[in-house]
Amino acid sequence: MRDWRQIVRARLAQGEFEGAIEIEIAEELAYHLERRYAELLGTGLSESAARAAAIAELDGREWIETVRRMRRARPPAVVLGSSSGKGQLMAGWLHDVKIAWRSIRMKPGFSVMVIGMLALGVAGNAAIFSVFNGLFLKPFPFDHPERLIDVDETAPQWNLKYVGVSNYDQDLWRNGNQTFESMAFFTGAGGNLTGDGAVQRVRGARVTWNLLDVLHLKPAVGRNFSPEEDKPKGPKVIMLSHTLWRQAFRGDPAIIGKVLKISEQPYTVIGVLPAEAVLPDQVDVWLPLQPDPAQSTGWYLSGIGRLKPGVTVDRARADLRWLHAAVTVAKDSNVSHADVTSPILGPLRDRYLGPMRDISNVLLIAVGAVLLIACVNVAALMMVRGSSRAREIAIRSAIGASRGRIVAQLLTESLMLAVCAGIAGVLLGMGLLKAMIPLMPPQIPRWVSFQFDARFALFCIAITGAAAMIFAVLPAIQSSGVPARAALQESGTRSTLSRGRLFTLRSLVVGEVALALALLVGAGLVLEGFRKVSQVDPGFRPEGVMTFGVGLPGVKYNKPEQVVSFYDRLTAELRAIPGVKSAAVTSAPPLGGHSGNFFVAEGSRELGPNEKNPVVLQVLITPGYLETIGIATLAGRDFTPADGGKPDNRVVIINQSFLKQYWPDLKSPGDAVGRRIRYSGKDVRWMPIVAVVRDEKHYGLDEDMKPAVYVPFPDIPRTSMTAVIRGSVDPETLTAPAREAMRRIDADLPMYEVRLLSQRVKESLWARRGATWLFGAFSIVALVLAGAGIYGVVSYAVTQRTHEIGIRMALGARPERVLGEVLRGGMAMVGVGVLLGVGTAVATAQLLGTLLFGMSGKEPWIYAAVAAGVLVVGLAANLVPARRAASVDPMRALRSE
Amino acid sequence: MQQTDRELKKGSAELLILSLVDRRARHGYEIAKEIETRSAGALKFKVASLYPLLYRLEARGWIVGTWVEREGARRCRFYKLTPAGRKILAAQREGWQKFVAAVGRITGIENA
Repeated sequence: MRDWRQIVRARLAQGEFEGAIEIEIAEELAYHLERRYAELLGTGLSESAARAAAIAELDGREWIETVRRMRRARPPAVVLGSSSGKGQLMAGWLHDVKIAWRSIRMKPGFSVMVIGMLALGVAGNAAIFSVFNGLFLKPFPFDHPERLIDVDETAPQWNLKYVGVSNYDQDLWRNGNQTFESMAFFTGAGGNLTGDGAVQRVRGARVTWNLLDVLHLKPAVGRNFSPEEDKPKGPKVIMLSHTLWRQAFRGDPAIIGKVLKISEQPYTVIGVLPAEAVLPDQVDVWLPLQPDPAQSTGWYLSGIGRLKPGVTVDRARADLRWLHAAVTVAKDSNVSHADVTSPILGPLRDRYLGPMRDISNVLLIAVGAVLLIACVNVAALMMVRGSSRAREIAIRSAIGASRGRIVAQLLTESLMLAVCAGIAGVLLGMGLLKAMIPLMPPQIPRWVSFQFDARFALFCIAITGAAAMIFAVLPAIQSSGVPARAALQESGTRSTLSRGRLFTLRSLVVGEVALALALLVGAGLVLEGFRKVSQVDPGFRPEGVMTFGVGLPGVKYNKPEQVVSFYDRLTAELRAIPGVKSAAVTSAPPLGGHSGNFFVAEGSRELGPNEKNPVVLQVLITPGYLETIGIATLAGRDFTPADGGKPDNRVVIINQSFLKQYWPDLKSPGDAVGRRIRYSGKDVRWMPIVAVVRDEKHYGLDEDMKPAVYVPFPDIPRTSMTAVIRGSVDPETLTAPAREAMRRIDADLPMYEVRLLSQRVKESLWARRGATWLFGAFSIVALVLAGAGIYGVVSYAVTQRTHEIGIRMALGARPERVLGEVLRGGMAMVGVGVLLGVGTAVATAQLLGTLLFGMSGKEPWIYAAVAAGVLVVGLAANLVPARRAASVDPMRALRSE
Repeated sequence: MQQTDRELKKGSAELLILSLVDRRARHGYEIAKEIETRSAGALKFKVASLYPLLYRLEARGWIVGTWVEREGARRCRFYKLTPAGRKILAAQREGWQKFVAAVGRITGIENA
């Protein structure tokens, strides 16, 4: 075969070709002559005759000149099939795409791997980002949401960040500010709606008349409140939420002007809210607030303000603070505590979703790390592939393709991979988001909606795609400097990685192992944190406990005795239900909200110079509550029906935290029984302590307990209470008999918020559970990607060395030795990665913040377990190619030469 | 028709090659062989006549050559029509048909 090449080259010599081009042409023509020669031999010609006839194909001189001109004249773009013009360029690009598609299909394993890795990165990132976006970035469904801010009062002296806005202040701020276009206030209000048919518990809001205006919304039907209707003792008018209107009144516009009874009081419907009116959240009706600035009501209002265009939050804050301070100085007689509270302003979202921000940020970091690993992996794969194509690239540049041409081709190829991966990633990401939505807690406001964020998916594709492109093109830029002749004259198709490039490749793998390890350690810590939280002793026994809300209409139950006797009867009826062990009533079950007060304890320790008297959780309970909920009594006795209700028989029960706060020196809880506390303020009676109970995790398993005081219900008979039942049977079966019991006492009363206490506990951990789950999923993905990276690079190195290994085995090297050597090389990368990863994890563990739940982030056993896991995965990823290396057949390896 | 006229052959050669690489890529020898077989030996291309033509077509961007490697076989260069070439081929086919029809009408030779 070689002689044909020689013959052709001898002829071509007169054309004075460029070396590489001459080799190319010679190879092509020689192939032709060789086939022709074989064909002629087949027709029965003698060898010499056939040879002569074949050589005669080259006769003539002028053709060599034509060839020379054509091969030299060709501009680089000619490979494209174009020389100029836009349409031609397009055709060239299409051609690139075709070639790219062919080369993608030619290596399906490689392509699937790259696409899979990119898709995983894109999907995970886009799904998490969509959640993040829904919660924190996407504006409210209101006009110019960036101008809407939360308005409240803060009382650092009381250790309370938010106390609510008082009647007086809302009036002052609303009318005195210069930075707000408008400002509105609202507060919650519940009631039982009676109209046609069944009784329904409705959640209402009392709002200042201008709330719709602040939100830049218009009523869907009817009209908005008027300023007159918002005056104290104004008319009883009501606006229905869009949902209530649709569900309870079938969207009938004739509802306007009708009178509905809410908790026995008649209200005239004047309008229907638009569907967008989702703030205040989960509310069925709006009533006018009708606030009286002259009446001291304490702090209870939520506020929302719309800034004038161009006004910053800081300016608005300064404005309100100035206003507030001016009044404080004036010492208006109506303002108590004006020097204690001050305005606090901030973005709406921070206010309503604050605690989730930590978790989202941690998840975003995890997502970024996975994206980075995916990029690194793809980069490594691209480099491996790029160097195995060095020869192809050399040929292409030899036949006249310019560097730009080759780069364009490689770019097209990686772009196509990125596009495929993008499509797969977006589909996967949409599925992932769908799977994540049910994990969201029910307390997420209705204005939050999660949509798959296509723009972010695009962003991820762009990033990973860019990584792919950079590393696809890098080898092209390097290898197009390789002398074409050298590349072409190599006998086989082998090409080896240069030392420098192999180093880059190994560094990439080390980097991704390190990242994956750091993520896994993070996941391990979060998982352990979650385990710890879920094993926290809640201080009560949630199993078997059912709770439901009861709200008595104030009109019908307008005397305290009526309220007390209603709840007495209710507990008696509930206890009589078969399967009920005990039943009681409380103002706030565990995880059921906070209502605070300030207390003074007799003979308590002195407060430090900067210490504030802390706010104390105050819970109203009936006898038997502690037993029903499962709170252990450390000393003393439970309330009896004789306790409370009159000034002279007031008694209280305190919790451990209260004891620790006020009497840290007392040795046993029993010593506190008999001591006295009172409400802060003047001329308030002392109340003896009858018992000390264990702390309950009232605010969540991962929250600290505040000092708490339990007060007999008859002392402060509230109309809205929560009934608590402990059953000896499945508590869910008690719902129907409990409803029946309610109906026997008052047929117009609905049960609402029927929930299992265990369910409340579970829901309170949602965010943590979700974060743990997601974090875990991400780190597993990272590990898989890193494993694939190790496998890819080691396999490639082995393939490169097949020839060398073959020679050594032919010379007597034992397979075990080869195996050991490849493993050592691969595991060295893993080892360095593990060390780096441990360092990274130690340095960054504190970012996990509250997710650590008090752990230091340096728990050695977690690090050890994760490192062991990574080493095992690394070993597995190394073992496959190492075994392949050890089973190299020397004969075949050598023959491939 | 033992010996086709040289000029005619040269003018039609481009069309022949473009037609052959339209549906699938072929290497030079295959193209030569195909022309010879399909014309039952009436048309023959030597290396000296075929390759300058191929390179010219490639230089114009009508076809594109790519090296294809196969295991156990020698590397060879396959030519394939480019989108630009496809347009040219369509135009040439039409022109040729018109030409043949015109010649047919004049000479009375039926166009097959």
